[in-house]
Amino acid sequence: MKKADLITGVILLVLSGYVIQEAWRMPPSATFGPGSGFLPFWLGVLLTALAVILLATAWRRQATEKDSKSPFPGKRALIAIGSVLGGLAVYIVLIEVLGYLVDTFLYVAFLLGIVERERWPMTVGVAVLTTAGLYFIFQILLGITLPSNRFGF
Amino acid sequence: MDIFHNIVLGFQVASSWENLLFCFIGVLIGTLIGVLPGIGPTTGVAILIPITFGMNATTAIITMCGVYYGAMYGGSTTSILLNVPGESSSVMTTLDGYQMARKGRAGPALGMAALASFIAGTFAVLMLTFIAPALANYAVSFGPPEYFALTFMGLTLVTSLGGDSPLKGLISGVLGLLIACVGIDAISGVARFTFDNMYLLDGVGFIGMAVGLFAASEVLVNIEEPMQQIFTEAKLNFLSLFPNLQDWKDSFWPIGRGSVLGFFIGVLPGAGATIASFMAYAAEKKLSKHPEKFGTGVIEGVAAPEGANNAAAGGAMVPLLTLGIPGSGTTAVMLGALLIHGLRPGPLLFSTHPDFVWGLIASMYIGNVMLVILNMPMIGIWVRLLKVPYKVLMPLIITISAVGVFATDNNIFDMWVMFFFGVIGYLMRKMDYPPAPMVLALVLGPLVEMSLRQSLTISHGSIAIFFTRPISGTLAIFALLSLFAPLLRIIWIRYKAGKATA
Repeated sequence: MKKADLITGVILLVLSGYVIQEAWRMPPSATFGPGSGFLPFWLGVLLTALAVILLATAWRRQATEKDSKSPFPGKRALIAIGSVLGGLAVYIVLIEVLGYLVDTFLYVAFLLGIVERERWPMTVGVAVLTTAGLYFIFQILLGITLPSNRFGF
Repeated sequence: MDIFHNIVLGFQVASSWENLLFCFIGVLIGTLIGVLPGIGPTTGVAILIPITFGMNATTAIITMCGVYYGAMYGGSTTSILLNVPGESSSVMTTLDGYQMARKGRAGPALGMAALASFIAGTFAVLMLTFIAPALANYAVSFGPPEYFALTFMGLTLVTSLGGDSPLKGLISGVLGLLIACVGIDAISGVARFTFDNMYLLDGVGFIGMAVGLFAASEVLVNIEEPMQQIFTEAKLNFLSLFPNLQDWKDSFWPIGRGSVLGFFIGVLPGAGATIASFMAYAAEKKLSKHPEKFGTGVIEGVAAPEGANNAAAGGAMVPLLTLGIPGSGTTAVMLGALLIHGLRPGPLLFSTHPDFVWGLIASMYIGNVMLVILNMPMIGIWVRLLKVPYKVLMPLIITISAVGVFATDNNIFDMWVMFFFGVIGYLMRKMDYPPAPMVLALVLGPLVEMSLRQSLTISHGSIAIFFTRPISGTLAIFALLSLFAPLLRIIWIRYKAGKATA
């Protein structure tokens, strides 16, 4: 956790530097009173202060039991999380290519069959039901046009 | 009488077949979310925004409120039967509830939890009925400085009361305010932090962010450790659910005190159902003639926190509706939903949209009755639902989130916003940054900035304006105190330690 806090502190410092610089460049108010850069500028200053406090306390504090452990899980869990996220990214990219129906079916099947290692009959069943259920709610009940592929489904 | 007239209006609105149906659906989903561990009320409400998007505003918010207080009911079931709290607000219920179940008294514990929730929930709606209009009347005279002080106080209270580390809460809140700055500045029309991206001109989409921060990240945290399948052997039939006369005698005052305490803690921004249930339990233990029995399965230990958390859910509606200041993650998401439906909560809401406000309040009376009916005879069904494994739920939550986020605007970009905040939310959860202040700040951001800049324009740049006006001065000082409270506490501890060694 100590290491994580130090890294976050540095990232926040960089971010606040960027925010202050950007806010400084924004045009001043045309009338009297603060302009559009006013709030971002002071938020940037505040964030700098908070990041410094975070860094200082993380640096100075005695390593506790919580500090020696990484807040992140082991390799296996990371792979599972990565697959869910990677799958989601692919799902978003492909939804306008494959269409909602095919894309959603494949994503649910991937999550259940490959990430969770469920048996295939169960996987296919859940994937069909999920896809159909959401289609029913959004397309039929709510009348929203979900993305379709070039074959029209 | 005016209030009487308003309530009649409210019940007319709430008892249309559409509103009754969606109130029922809301409390049903809420109970489900409460029962299932691994999906919280904030996630539930966030996922529902897109689905309720096409409805009229009243029906949509009635549904979401139903989810909110329904989850308070459902959360007690797993706490009592399995020692697994469905929500953080039902953690205290596990202490005595599970012990009662082990002694074979699961029935009365569940029954008392539902009835205490009903009594306290109804009490809170009653208080809401009388307090909210009065507060709204008073707040009509608020100007920009008062609004700035108020929103500022809401933000500082949420950061200082929620989570273990106030520093991390503050960072989360400041980041939320910065995210709120993205897009075209409403006062001057300057584009800020848009990275030349056309989609960001409108600002970061609230639904994508809320769903990502709560629903997507919750899924990621949950797949980390495979959840254990949990079962219970408790045999439950309808009659065994009714507490006996002695139970009622023991619980009468705890429910009463829990209701009052819970309601007022709920009204306070930042504290919420969880803190309310902790405090109600602690208070009963202090007041009890036999404090040593707490934790061994006494019914007061179930009645007090269950009453308090439901009363707090009702209390939280007071600042949300009258001032537009949400006190928790869930109510912040609900405020976002209200804004999407074009309703600006605040003192004027009561005069401009009385049908909405009173319809919502009336629906809460109706919803509470529905919940008791749902929870008492059907408890066996809820228990069986626990057998649905999380791995089936997980793809459902993630696809319904993604499709819902898309559906609100027919925009793929919003799905990427959800993706991005899903990752951010996961990192935040792992490193103990509370996500609630960030969402709260995003929702309140435009109001904070507008009122801040208007005030400073009125005062020609002097910040004294926030302290010289009585209401805004009180609120601002209160906000600063709550901001520095952790610091003062450290100084006080050092001071006492120094005195002890001297």
